[in-house]
Amino acid sequence: MLYTIFYGFSIGAILYFVSIGLSLTFGTMRVVNFAHTLTYSIGVYVLITFIPWLQGNFIPAAMIAILAVVPISYLIERFIIRRLYGESLDYTFIATFAVTLIGVDTIKMIWGVNPLPFSPPMSTYIDFWGMTFPLYRIIIFGIAIALFLGLELFFRKTIVGKIVVAALDDKDGVRSLGINVDKYFSIMFMLGSALAALGGVLYAPISAVQPYMGLSILLLAFAVVIVGGMGNLRGTFISAFALGMVMALTARYWSQGAETMVFIVMAIVLCFRPIDV
Amino acid sequence: MGELIGTKSLTKRFGGLVAVNEVNFQVVEGQVAGVIGPNGSGKTTLFNLLSGFFLPDEGKVYFAGQDITQMSSHRRVAMGMVRTFQLVSVFSSLTAWENLVLANIRFKKEEHSLNNFYFRPAHKKENLEICRHALNEVGLEKKAGVKTSELSYGDKRMLELAMALSLRPKLLLLDEPLSGLSDHEIADVIALLHQVKKDFAVVIIEHKISKIVDLVGRLSVMNEGRVICEGSPSEVLEDPKVRECYWGKEEKNCST
Repeated sequence: MLYTIFYGFSIGAILYFVSIGLSLTFGTMRVVNFAHTLTYSIGVYVLITFIPWLQGNFIPAAMIAILAVVPISYLIERFIIRRLYGESLDYTFIATFAVTLIGVDTIKMIWGVNPLPFSPPMSTYIDFWGMTFPLYRIIIFGIAIALFLGLELFFRKTIVGKIVVAALDDKDGVRSLGINVDKYFSIMFMLGSALAALGGVLYAPISAVQPYMGLSILLLAFAVVIVGGMGNLRGTFISAFALGMVMALTARYWSQGAETMVFIVMAIVLCFRPIDV
Repeated sequence: MGELIGTKSLTKRFGGLVAVNEVNFQVVEGQVAGVIGPNGSGKTTLFNLLSGFFLPDEGKVYFAGQDITQMSSHRRVAMGMVRTFQLVSVFSSLTAWENLVLANIRFKKEEHSLNNFYFRPAHKKENLEICRHALNEVGLEKKAGVKTSELSYGDKRMLELAMALSLRPKLLLLDEPLSGLSDHEIADVIALLHQVKKDFAVVIIEHKISKIVDLVGRLSVMNEGRVICEGSPSEVLEDPKVRECYWGKEEKNCST
């Protein structure tokens, strides 16, 4: 059981990395970005490409992977997301989902259709209470906590953080102060995409690497953001770990049902949530 | 006194509805002008066009001699055009003085290098002093650390005005600043406006006409997207066209 809870934490951490960007993009720009996890998958494939060149050094390859997605996310934001401000959900879905499909096929063209094998960068185990836990998963969890604290500090203490918090509340109010909100939204978008890539890069060794990996985690990320509240960063943190735990616990008893259970929980939450005016 | 802001045949349509219909509107430096009219007459849309929140379908907007028709709203603020909103727009998740920090960012940014600015802590001492002064002007200095969501509506409106004044406006566009306020709070706002009106031009949209009659030098009346009457408050309020759009046509057999 302890293992299950432990795995729940590490899944939750990955969900957190991927969901932050989605929550921010919707909270600030009011755009539902169905292309969000493209950077997640591209990050992984770039990582796998660079690892042999860097003699198997995981950390530099991971950093290159995350940096590589930044220009891609800039292009997506500049030429697609920005055009979707204020547009109906239909257009937004078509446009961003099209980006995802193009991305998936590009991956297939460059790297092929078959899943790629990839093993964790470390196989160290830690002994604790008479049980062994993989150090790798502990590190993932540690990074998630550090990220959460870092973001809290960022939004509470820095000026840019305050601008984003205010813009989440009232975008037009911030515009009327002479602040170019769109520029800050772009920065937040790129940050969110880089974090999704971080999630992908960290999860790759313990999951399957195939061209459609972005799509399956996209739906889970949506569930996290819906349960936690769009634009609510603390809520995203809590719901990511809660749903990660749901997945781990369900997988223990009904392995095929792990993802399904997440959506069942999401549906229940939606039924009982008081409607915000 | 030169023209500060002017529009030429300004038009804005929303589908079949012409919200603002070939409006020519001018304000000169130092003038205090009022805009009144029934609901849906296009007053707020006019403000949105002036401040750049909407772009017009036809016509032009000039500010301080420049054609700003296509200029983005944040650059208009930099030129000195500041507006407030019908529903008070202060940021409820921040404290009163943090709201003012945001209002002052524009000026602070010019003083610091790019790297320094992005990660600059919000709570620096210099910011505190500027904000304290601004809050003092509107009588909110004791509530500086209070979260805006906990302030009364009247206090929020004063905070919004403090933020607007911090932006060093040349032209202040106030959209129904008195709505939702008690008589006491209205008196406070009017007193503040009397005090600051000598520093810049002001345009006020209001429904509570009696409260602004002493404040404004000129009234414009809008109805169905057009300016139907313009002049001193006493002239305008006697005008039959104006009375008609508010109270309907006079019955022939009624005594006035």
